[in-house]
Amino acid sequence: MAFTLYSLLQAALLCVNAIAVLHEERFLKNIGWGTDQGIGGFGEEPGIKSQLMNLVRSVRTVMRVPLIIVNSITIVLLLLFG
Amino acid sequence: MHAAGLAAPAGTPRLRKWPSKRRVPVSQPGMADPHQFFDDTSSAPTRGYGGQPSPGGLGYPSPSSSHEAPFLADPMSNMAMAYGSSLAAHGKELVDKNIDRFIPVTKLKYYFAVDTVYVGKKLGLLVFPYLHQDWEVQYQQDTPVAPRFDINAPDLYIPAMAFITYILVAGLALGTQDRFSPDLLGLQASSALAWLTLEVVAILLSLYLVTVNTDLTTIDLVAFLGYKYVGMIGGVLVGLLFGKIGYYLVLGWCCVSIFVFMIRTLRLKILAQAAAEGVPVRGARNQLRMYLTMAVAAAQPLLMYWLTFHLVR
Repeated sequence: MAFTLYSLLQAALLCVNAIAVLHEERFLKNIGWGTDQGIGGFGEEPGIKSQLMNLVRSVRTVMRVPLIIVNSITIVLLLLFG
Repeated sequence: MHAAGLAAPAGTPRLRKWPSKRRVPVSQPGMADPHQFFDDTSSAPTRGYGGQPSPGGLGYPSPSSSHEAPFLADPMSNMAMAYGSSLAAHGKELVDKNIDRFIPVTKLKYYFAVDTVYVGKKLGLLVFPYLHQDWEVQYQQDTPVAPRFDINAPDLYIPAMAFITYILVAGLALGTQDRFSPDLLGLQASSALAWLTLEVVAILLSLYLVTVNTDLTTIDLVAFLGYKYVGMIGGVLVGLLFGKIGYYLVLGWCCVSIFVFMIRTLRLKILAQAAAEGVPVRGARNQLRMYLTMAVAAAQPLLMYWLTFHLVR
C-alpha cells in the first residue's frame, strides 16, 4: 500500500514531462496527431481524437515555463534529500 | 465609605455595589485594591461603565480600573494597544478578502449546510437506494437547493466524516492485529487521498474527452466519490466483529448499493436529458456517456475492496 500522495505527485510530474518532450515533426505527425491535422469542421462535436490532440497541444504550450521551474526545484530537492 | 455607598438613592441600585471601589482610584491613583484580582462583571456590567471616566478613550470597558489606572494612563502603551488592535483588524480584513481566491469558501458552505435528518436519510439511501424514486436535485431560481432541504443534493459533510472515520477504523483494525504503528495511519490517509485524487482527475479527464456539457462541478464529484467510504467503514467494522464472512457479506451489499446509487445519480448529470428519462436514445455519443457512467460506477466497488481487504484478516 505504498501509493502515497508523494508518489502521485512524482507520477504527475513525470507524465507532464513526457507530454512536453513529444516532438511534433518526428513523432506526432507520423501517427497523425500533429497540431495542424485533424481540425474538424464547425458544428459537429469534436471527437475524442481531436480533443486529445487539443489537450496535448495546450499542455505543451501552457506547462513549458512552469515545468522548467518545477523540474529545477525537484532536481535540487532530490539531490539534497534523496 | 460603605455607609455613604449604601445611602445612595434607590433609583441607582447599580452604583451601590462599587462606589467604594470606584472612588478610591480617582483620589489615590497609586493604590490598587489587593482583594480584587479580576474585574467583577457578575452584575450589570454594561450599565456600570457610564459613570466611569474612560482612560485614554480606548473603548476597552473595564468596570474596575483600580489596578489598571497606572498602566493605561501611559500614553505610549495606549497608542501601542490602539495600533495593535487596528493592525489585527486590518489583517483580518485582508485575509477575508483574499481567502476566497484560493479556497472557494462560500461555495463550500453550501456543501456543509446539512442537518441530522438529512444525514440520516442520506446514509439510509447509500445502503438501500432501491426504493427511492425521484433522484432529481431541486432547483430554486437557478441555484440548487441546500442539502438540508433536498436529499438528492450532494454534500461534503458525509464524505469528510466518513473519510476520517475510515482512517480511525483502519487504525483500529490494524491495532487488533498487532500491526499498528502511528505512521501507518498517515500512510492509510495518504493512500486513500491519493486514490481519491486519481479518481477525480481520471473522471475529469474523461468528461473532457467525451465533451459532456454537464453542471457537475469538481466539488460535486469529490462529494459523490466520497460516499463509498461509508460502505467501507461498515464492511471493516463487521469484518472485525464477525470475521471474513461478515466482511464479504456487508462489503458485497454496500458495493452493489453504491453501484446503483452512483448510476442513478450520475445518469441525471452526465447523460442527455432524454436518455436520463429512460428513453433509449441511439447515437455514439450517448453510448459513450453511458459507458462512462458505468465505468465510474464500477470503479467504486473495486476501490472499496482494494482499500479495505488488507485490513481484515
